[in-house]
Amino acid sequence: MRDRHEGANMGKENVVLRVENLEKRFGGLVATDDASFEVERGTITGLIGPNGAGKSTIFNLISGFYEPDGGRVEVNGIDVTGRKPYEVADAGLIRTFQTPRKLEGMTVREAMLVGPREQPGESFVKLFTDPEGVASAESANLAEAQRILEEFEIDHLATQPATDISGGQMKLVELARAMLADPEILLLDEPVAGVNPTLRNDLAEQIRRLNEQGTTFCIIEHDMEFVMKLADPVVVLNQGNVLMEGPPEAVQSDERVIDAYLGGDA
Amino acid sequence: MSWLTDPAGEFADLTRAEQGVTLFVVAFAIYLLFGLLRGTLDPTYFMFLLGLASMYALLSLGLNSQWGFTGLINFSVAAFFGIGAYGTALMTASSSPIAGGFNPIVGLVVALVVAAVIAVAIGIPTLRLRADYLAIASLGLAEVIRRIVLNEQGLTNGSAGVRGIPSFFEGWPVLATFPQSMPETTIDPVPGGSVTVAEPVFGIGFTVGQEIVLRTPFWRALLNVSLVFVFLGVSYGVLRRVHRSPWGRVLRTIRADEDLARALGKDTYSFKMQSFVLGSLVMALAGVFYAHLNLYVSPGDLDPITTFYVWVAVILGGSGSNRGALFGGFVVVAIREGTRFLNQISLSLDLGATEVVFSFEGLGGPMRLLLIGLIIVVLMRFRPEGLLPPQRELIWPGTVDEVPEGPDVGVREARGGSDE
Repeated sequence: MRDRHEGANMGKENVVLRVENLEKRFGGLVATDDASFEVERGTITGLIGPNGAGKSTIFNLISGFYEPDGGRVEVNGIDVTGRKPYEVADAGLIRTFQTPRKLEGMTVREAMLVGPREQPGESFVKLFTDPEGVASAESANLAEAQRILEEFEIDHLATQPATDISGGQMKLVELARAMLADPEILLLDEPVAGVNPTLRNDLAEQIRRLNEQGTTFCIIEHDMEFVMKLADPVVVLNQGNVLMEGPPEAVQSDERVIDAYLGGDA
Repeated sequence: MSWLTDPAGEFADLTRAEQGVTLFVVAFAIYLLFGLLRGTLDPTYFMFLLGLASMYALLSLGLNSQWGFTGLINFSVAAFFGIGAYGTALMTASSSPIAGGFNPIVGLVVALVVAAVIAVAIGIPTLRLRADYLAIASLGLAEVIRRIVLNEQGLTNGSAGVRGIPSFFEGWPVLATFPQSMPETTIDPVPGGSVTVAEPVFGIGFTVGQEIVLRTPFWRALLNVSLVFVFLGVSYGVLRRVHRSPWGRVLRTIRADEDLARALGKDTYSFKMQSFVLGSLVMALAGVFYAHLNLYVSPGDLDPITTFYVWVAVILGGSGSNRGALFGGFVVVAIREGTRFLNQISLSLDLGATEVVFSFEGLGGPMRLLLIGLIIVVLMRFRPEGLLPPQRELIWPGTVDEVPEGPDVGVREARGGSDE
């Protein structure tokens, strides 16, 4: 019941991502209904909710993959509502996908090198007018990719075909590649779905390490244990709207959340 | 190590597919050379074939930069080829209904500009959408352009075609009169007359060393081949460079998964547009060459069969691979022209009382399509990635010094993992 939705804490300081009254309808289906929340710099904010709560839709709206029917999205104080995904990325927000995207015909380090933004070598003209600049940028990016792969302890995969590694390793590579884009805030869509427990711990550790080094995270995750261990605060979505926000303990013991998950009063 | 100092070592470094293709190319070259020496292959015709093959290679390179790099499905190869051919023809030909008589260089520039403009025009509405829409739109575009060329008599002479196209070097110093000014040259491969090698035991006797006479048409053909080699060299050089660059890497990302490229902050629409225009320009270049080779263009040159030959060439060579596209273009021409000679082959078996004669008379045309169909079916079954798929990492040259372990298992091959 809507009147039990208390919404998110909207009074935060130093906000990286602000979502206000976001709306999205697919025909008659309301996927996101007046959703508002904020992600504070330096946090790992969890975004949970039962199936169909509109988590993935919100990610798609924020990152520019869907155009919202109403509301506003701000990244770093820049209004990116309805902007193209690359413009949202330019504002400092990078996202990953639920199912790992495999880059056919590339090695892992090639796939990593897609990450860095604004590479001079991505301009057709500069390939011919400034080959030295392209080469030095490429060398720098390659070194950076190697460094990040080492930090993630997957540098042994560097020259493997990107299609040959396991799903869990792919998730690590995705996270590593997203870091190459140097984001202010990283949106992770179910980072541990289908990942074995060992790699799951690796991923949690990496996310925590990156967070300590200054990257803000917003994570959708179905694995409660994972998200409750990692995220603070946790935002609960239900029926396209923010049900509540709070520290993991408060969320876990909240009756409305339990009801929402059990479908009690939906 | 290089091919000059250590050919055996270089050869051993190649993948099995590369070795096979190398052997095939060498064997085919020897066969052609042999034909030239025997006098069964006319040098002028040989030059014509070489020009035609290079033209197809250009078209394949163009399609490869759209489909192979970026995954753009373009079914209007013949249209862009036709735009190139008609663009230069209408600017330069004496019978042009609009603006004939310009220098072929002007024709080249106009053809390329028109091709680029049309590529942008078709790209604006379709490249924002999913890949299938471009496929459908380009199929329509090809037919629209063919119909315009056929029916707009005031613009294109309609079905009569455009005659009186000058050779590309018309008006250039030296080169313009090069074919006429070259003396008639006689080459005598075996000094002192012809030599008969092997007695005709099984009917396989032959003679080498007949005199080969090179006249004006040969020199003209030689000039044309040089021209297309320049076009081909420049296109290949440019494409090879951009393919190995971060630019090319974004295109390959789009091909594999466009959403991923978008999520990583790439303006995929712009990249797709660049790739589409680039490929269309290379196709138009092939058309420009064709107009100045044939000296006559007609709406028949825009028939969709060209598009499908070029698709076969790219798939055969391995999409995403520039050398594959080159090889595919040559193979398609070999099949197209080679099947013409099937008409002349007949086989007679003497079975005592009755003599059975197998003749391929009249089978050339049908055999051509059959062969191409067979090649595609066999390829899809046994080697869907093509004969020469991209094998190695594509990182800007000079930035990686170590070659990854086991490059003989190509990244694409490893996925199928069928024949290793």
